[in-house]
Amino acid sequence: MDRKLAIVLALVCVAIAALLPLVAGPFWIALLTQMFIFGLLALSVDLLLGHAGLFSLCHAAFFSVAAYTTAILQVRYGVSTALAAPAGIVAGTLLGMLFGLSVRTRGVYFILITIALGYIVWGVAYRWSSFTGGDNGVTNVPRPALAGYGLESMTSYYYFMLAVIVLSLLAYRVLVSSPFGLTLRGIKTSESRMTSVGFRPNRHLYAAFVLSAAIASFAGVLYVYYNRFVNPVSASFPISVEAVLMAIVGGSGTIVGPLLGSGIVLALRNWVSSFFELHAAVMGLVFIAVVLWAPGGLVGLLESFRNGRRPGR
Amino acid sequence: MTTSAILQAINGASLAALLFLLASGFTLSFGLMRVVNMAHGAYYLLGGYVGLTVVRITGSFWLAIFAGGAAIALLGLFIDRVLIRRTGENHLAQVLLTVGIAFVIGDLALWTWGGDNLKVPVPMFLRGAVELPGGIVYPAFRLMLIGIGLVVALLLWLLYHKTQLGAVVRAGVDDREMVAANGIHVDRLFMVVSALASFLAGMAGVVGGAFLTLYPGAEWEILVFALVVVIVGGLGSLEGAMIGALIVGLLDAYGRWLLPEFSYFVLFGPMAILMLFRPTGLFGKAH
Repeated sequence: MDRKLAIVLALVCVAIAALLPLVAGPFWIALLTQMFIFGLLALSVDLLLGHAGLFSLCHAAFFSVAAYTTAILQVRYGVSTALAAPAGIVAGTLLGMLFGLSVRTRGVYFILITIALGYIVWGVAYRWSSFTGGDNGVTNVPRPALAGYGLESMTSYYYFMLAVIVLSLLAYRVLVSSPFGLTLRGIKTSESRMTSVGFRPNRHLYAAFVLSAAIASFAGVLYVYYNRFVNPVSASFPISVEAVLMAIVGGSGTIVGPLLGSGIVLALRNWVSSFFELHAAVMGLVFIAVVLWAPGGLVGLLESFRNGRRPGR
Repeated sequence: MTTSAILQAINGASLAALLFLLASGFTLSFGLMRVVNMAHGAYYLLGGYVGLTVVRITGSFWLAIFAGGAAIALLGLFIDRVLIRRTGENHLAQVLLTVGIAFVIGDLALWTWGGDNLKVPVPMFLRGAVELPGGIVYPAFRLMLIGIGLVVALLLWLLYHKTQLGAVVRAGVDDREMVAANGIHVDRLFMVVSALASFLAGMAGVVGGAFLTLYPGAEWEILVFALVVVIVGGLGSLEGAMIGALIVGLLDAYGRWLLPEFSYFVLFGPMAILMLFRPTGLFGKAH
């Protein structure tokens, strides 16, 4: 896409998002805030999927461990946001350093192992009820307060999230176009070639995994302050799957794709569940349709229309 | 203490029997067709629900096992031919596609059979407990489950190692093109294995539904156990599925008994360590 056009388009989107609370009701503000939070989670998944070619299905683990850590510190120990929020990110990232050892495997083994690892976290969240609160989780998480400035209202949290997502996307753009990002894409395209020119793929993939876990943890902390409670659902397999779905629906390997995908998936689920009982089945059909007919996601579809080609399989 | 330890061993063996039914089909599908079918857990759950309905109508548990298996064999064959086939050997697409299929099946099952825990009723003579040597009293049904597991394992082993069909399947696991070049109808072979794998999953649902009960979400819980079995045993290996099922069953039973809050950890911790040193599992080959 034309660089100038892209910048203008991005500025217009941010301006619309900034003016939206003046006209839109609380439903839309809440939906967009969720879109930003889960967009960040989808972005973390796509760092591995779209750029490094690793299909992880355990990102709910980092997301929820960060959310639980922050929630437990704030609620049970009265720790302030300034400490509890970074602690959450650190906890999720440490878990990422452990689970990241799975980059020793590839392909199908990597997928299956990440699923199993993700289930450990769900199992602990669910069964270690004396610490995690079991099924009920941790409730009454206070609104975040940073440097004396509280984000009490939904609208203020929305603006905060908007700033976070814009900065995150800019940082992500720098990251994926850095030499590190290029190395990852090189490994995705041909690992053997990267090895033969002297790279050590496992080290780069491990770094990408840990970084990705850190982003997912960041999303988890933002989620718990928005949601104000956390329970084992946030650690469950469907969350990991949904993050992947978002990345793919929007357009894997792109920068805005995961965010768009997050919006599409959340809006669709909200819309379908308002009149149709079987909304999980509809999400399942979306999976099937995307895999069969639009593997490039929305961004891929748009690009293939621009290039005058049929969206290929 | 020793009595409990023995009881847990039998518990583990009965879970292992169930997991073997599920994991053997998963591992054979992968070995031969390179298909990763994440809907396998949903097949299990749906098979269980079908079996439940059959028991309610006919009162026959044995018919229910067959009906659950047969219904899923047909469904599995259909899904395999119409949907999974189109992903080729792209595992990422397969996983997403079959997760989607599992969501659809799970939601339709929830809509049809509701969200309560349902138990498949077992025949009268299996409802009581049996006294084993050493004064151990154990539910008869679970003992029979171990029996079913052993019989299926034996039959599969014979089929795999002693028949012409098994020889062709084994050859197909090693080199599919070569088998096709020898004039074997590979497509027909795939259909047989796919139907067999689905049959085992559906059947597992009926017997599993009689002791673990059926409920929404059970499809993922059981799938993860089956995945650990195939990861530990090695994808594509029948023997691996047997040993893996036994290891996972016993770890789960002792884990629940000794460290109830961390039983998942007891189960997945050794798996993670094994995976670091031997990513292809105990019996797997690199693919």
